Amino acid sequence: MGRRGEPYYVEAAPPVDVNKNTEWFMYPGVWTTYILLLFFAWLLVLSVSGCSPGAAWTVVNLAHFAITYHFFHWKKGTPFAADDQGIYSRLTWWEQIDNGQQLTRNRKFLTVVPVVLYLIASHLTDYKQPMFFLNTMAVFVLVVAKLPNMHKVRIFGINGDI
Amino acid sequence: MVRLPYTTALTTLFSYGLLFAFGQLRDFFRKFVDWFKAKNVKGYAPICLGLEDFYVRRLYLRIQDCFGRPIASAPDSWFDVVERTSKDNNKTLQRTSNTTRCLNLGSYNYLGFAAADEYCTPRVIESLKKYSASTCSVRVDGGTTKLHNELEELAARFVGKPAAILFGMGYVTNSAIIPCLIGKGGLIISDSLNHNSIVNGARGSGATVRVFQHNSPAHLEEVLREQIAGGQPRTHRPWKKIIVIVEGIYSMEGELCKLPEIIAVAKKYKAYTYLDEAHSIGAVGQSGRGVCELLGVDPADVDIMMGTFTKSFGSCGGYIAASKEIIQHLKHSCPAHLYATSMSPPAVQQVISAIKVILGEDGSNRGAQKLARIRENSNFFRSELKKMGFEVLGDNDSPVMPIMLYNPAKIPAFSRECLRQKVAVVTVAFPATPLLLARARICISASHTREDLMKALDVISRVGDLVGIKYFPAEPPKIAGADHDKLE
Repeated sequence: MGRRGEPYYVEAAPPVDVNKNTEWFMYPGVWTTYILLLFFAWLLVLSVSGCSPGAAWTVVNLAHFAITYHFFHWKKGTPFAADDQGIYSRLTWWEQIDNGQQLTRNRKFLTVVPVVLYLIASHLTDYKQPMFFLNTMAVFVLVVAKLPNMHKVRIFGINGDI
Repeated sequence: MVRLPYTTALTTLFSYGLLFAFGQLRDFFRKFVDWFKAKNVKGYAPICLGLEDFYVRRLYLRIQDCFGRPIASAPDSWFDVVERTSKDNNKTLQRTSNTTRCLNLGSYNYLGFAAADEYCTPRVIESLKKYSASTCSVRVDGGTTKLHNELEELAARFVGKPAAILFGMGYVTNSAIIPCLIGKGGLIISDSLNHNSIVNGARGSGATVRVFQHNSPAHLEEVLREQIAGGQPRTHRPWKKIIVIVEGIYSMEGELCKLPEIIAVAKKYKAYTYLDEAHSIGAVGQSGRGVCELLGVDPADVDIMMGTFTKSFGSCGGYIAASKEIIQHLKHSCPAHLYATSMSPPAVQQVISAIKVILGEDGSNRGAQKLARIRENSNFFRSELKKMGFEVLGDNDSPVMPIMLYNPAKIPAFSRECLRQKVAVVTVAFPATPLLLARARICISASHTREDLMKALDVISRVGDLVGIKYFPAEPPKIAGADHDKLE
């Protein structure tokens, strides 16, 4: 932005969360970056494949489902584990965030994003199959995985500790 | 509390996201490339999960030439930095025999005792001849000399406590003491930005650990009320004891603790207080006695005072100062006292001499001059940096001055460019700091002259313009005529 115009300043206070794997999500700009990344991903898909906007949103929705399911709900532990003695080794990122507290603002935001993506993709593809089915499955899995009742639940032992 | 432009927050998160994505992609392909090289012994779990060293492999090694630079002289205001080269993109670094004479803005040499001193060094050499370099014993065996006893009395008198105990290593002073003070059934409430030694000591104690927001007495009170009302986990019985642990100067923030407010909250709820003055002892306060003196807190109100000799006193080790009963208990139960080699006698003499210089007991006023100079240097440097438009953390009178960089690409850019201009700075990044808040940490010394500081300001200003870290508008320059009129 440089010197043109007055920049908009935000304040960052150090959070109480001492888990370095989830602490970064407490700072200003994270939500905006998340949404901007989705938008730029949509632009990228549009420019690369030249398909319709609805199909591009479907691709973004499915990619978002794959990536967030893997990193938020499947992968356990933390890549910065130098000094936490492995207390997060059995927890997914979703179970670590906000120190495990449910129904926080960040959790609500992360639950709303796949729903909004689903609505955009389905509406723009005119609810046609098979994209509607894929979008519905993606949003269903993501939202169920984010429910408070599913905290530390491993259905049929899937992704459980061996 | 840090102010930053919103676009900087967005670009920083995007940069880290990009680095993370590329790192994950490389790890993904590395799995396939190394599939046939798997050396796992059948039936054994891997010793190290690949996830746990992701940060070091994929982010830190890229810029590791900016960290851990070896030096080849005493860390005075100017020192020799060893040059290093790399042929594999910083995966490994080789030292050369070349050195660069640089202005030292990175050492904790607050009072200038890190180099030779006219009062301290002859006495250290004398004690080296008399006592030898090490006692080769623990304190309770043959490792206590007259110097150790003298320093314990002197440290207690210096900080204003009845008794003190010495340790040979500053980190151990925290990590080995806290398990002796509190155990299962106790509650530790720790500031969220406390040092790793405190964190590990708290974990090793077996007590329940809770964190309150950094330097926030209001949140501390909230946590205390909640934990006292809830009691111990599962049984909900009352806590056996509660300790609030804070630091005098936070080394990554340069921020002074809000000690009067925190003491008031702790006393209201009958919690003990533990004050870590690793950086503040000797560096702040009218006579160098730390944040208690600076902020007007009676040392009797702080239950346990910890400090190190590794910064302002130019030596090694640390101390705990408290009541006689607590010190006696530590002498009987602390493994750092019972099993560790005692502090080296010349190192003890160095601290004794340094404290005497600070107290003026060496027969001169050099101590008072050093303290006044570090205060003037710190406040001058901080105000000039802020005028230039940098975001500088910390409080006045604090000799630690973090300059915010934010973007990960600016960490190596700032560090390398300053080194090219013969100014050595320390850059700090995630995970030592939060992800968004990478910084360069400037430490001011009493041995810096005004010319040194002016040169440093000039270099930092030029590099700041080049790298783009002046996030605020610069203060307009004063009119020369006005200054001239004032002088007359």
